[in-house]
Amino acid sequence: MLEVKNLMVFFENALALNDFSMTVNEGEIVGVIGSNSAGKTTLMNTISGLIIDMKIKEKRKGGERITIYGEILFQGEDITETQPFDRVKKGLVLSRERHPVFPESDVAENLRIAGHQVKKLALSERMEYVYALFPALSDLKRRKAGFLSGGEQQMLAIGMALILKPALLLLDEPLLGLSPMMQTMLVDAVKNLRKESGITILITEQFARPILPFIERGYVIENGMLALSGTGEELMDNPEVKSAYFGI
Amino acid sequence: MRRRKERIDRGIKVRSGDVFALCSWREMLYLAAPRMLPIVGLLVLSLALSVYWQRVLLSVSVFALLAISWDILAQSGMISLGQALFFGSGAYLAGIMNHYWGWPPAVTIPLATIFGGLLCTLLLTPVLRLRGIYFSMVTLVLPLMLVRIVEATRIFGGTEGLSGLASFPTRWVEIYLIIAALLAALFGFRRLMDSDFGLVLKGINDNDRSVMNAGINIYWFKIQALFIASSVGAFAGAFMTHVYLFVGMPVFALDYSILPIAAAVVGGIGTLAGSTLGAFILVPLSEILRGLGGLRIVFYGLFLVIFTVALPEGIFHYVQRKYHQFERWAEVER
Repeated sequence: MLEVKNLMVFFENALALNDFSMTVNEGEIVGVIGSNSAGKTTLMNTISGLIIDMKIKEKRKGGERITIYGEILFQGEDITETQPFDRVKKGLVLSRERHPVFPESDVAENLRIAGHQVKKLALSERMEYVYALFPALSDLKRRKAGFLSGGEQQMLAIGMALILKPALLLLDEPLLGLSPMMQTMLVDAVKNLRKESGITILITEQFARPILPFIERGYVIENGMLALSGTGEELMDNPEVKSAYFGI
Repeated sequence: MRRRKERIDRGIKVRSGDVFALCSWREMLYLAAPRMLPIVGLLVLSLALSVYWQRVLLSVSVFALLAISWDILAQSGMISLGQALFFGSGAYLAGIMNHYWGWPPAVTIPLATIFGGLLCTLLLTPVLRLRGIYFSMVTLVLPLMLVRIVEATRIFGGTEGLSGLASFPTRWVEIYLIIAALLAALFGFRRLMDSDFGLVLKGINDNDRSVMNAGINIYWFKIQALFIASSVGAFAGAFMTHVYLFVGMPVFALDYSILPIAAAVVGGIGTLAGSTLGAFILVPLSEILRGLGGLRIVFYGLFLVIFTVALPEGIFHYVQRKYHQFERWAEVER
């Protein structure tokens, strides 16, 4: 479904992603594990196309020059140069890291803003679906998003991505800054999402422990380079992953 | 073969970056030339120009001072739309002291600088808690209000203004005073903004809550920045009063608010040198375009638009980057 071939991303002279290749098959749930500054967010921004916007803005500012080489194929189509909003229309939706929501709007409004592209009838149905998936949100429909807790904001951010009924959902560090209990809740919600809709999910995370048990395949990324890949169980048994991410 | 453009610091920049590595005249020149350029340039200009263009140089320097004052405020997180307030209060204070009490320029200019700065700081202190567009609105409205007060109450000469004020002994005093003030402001405040005090101001611009969290009273620092910036503007006003030998309602004109911002944007925000450079481009340009008559403003505006679109970072940042770095094609290898 998604194929990333030999992706290289330079921020000025620093190499953020070095010859990174990966595939995501239809219906799979794939994880990308890496520590801070490994290149996870750069990978997500490149797949979702946000980096094209960053590139233009930096160029206009005279700031860092961003250079991208490689190919990104989505459903057999080359989308390397496609604008981010066109990628969303093709079904590739990213939920960005640090749960960005519109703080001045309430929860329902946030979902409506995110679902502006969706037909009105379908929208209320999608909103009900999000509320069913995250019951905590349905009690907070009229609460301003800025006043939600981190975990609730994260649910809302994922809900805002789901509103668009993505073919491939990209989750960038969904567990960042959440308590272990919130992390479990969120992981359960993602598992439910997967069971009910059979959606394809690509998830990046530095907390390997909650993620590895339920991903089908995983990639370990280090300094922008692919270090390891395998199924979830293989990675869990790998001694290097154990020492680096489980501290055993 | 895949290639990408690479940006690298020039060797001479790297070597001369460390003072201990300065070992040749070339490297010393590389460091000193950009700093010497405004000093030598202004001295040469002051001698080489005709009397008419010397007057233009005066007004260029005044606008450069106002742009520097705007940039100091902008770097401390206060976007001001009312440089005319600083300029006008300085101008009126100097005019009043000279007209009513007969004090000479040597006294009125320093006093107007300090008290003009204090007055503007007092006027703006109550709104320091406002941020962004709200602060800007107040600064925009205050000079417009003051000019109507002068008109309605007929104080300080009303619409006629105060004329027949004392002048400088010679035009050379005028020109070297303003050049000295401009260079002092440019280099002094550049240094100030690089000191710890300046770092706090820049921090307030970036994230004022974090600065508060570091146990710093941001309002006190904002007041100090405001006093510095408004004193610079008040000096420019007081100086111009004694050049025109007149002070009146035009000193609160919108020109004095808008042109400094345009100069800072064209030259590059964040470095005081950029604002100065912008003033040195825009004011003479407007003089040259004077021959076009009514179309002058159209061409002037067009130039500004083209400039902002083509080089949004500002001339100074662009030139600085080209001076320090070069680009070359490099092969992409994994």
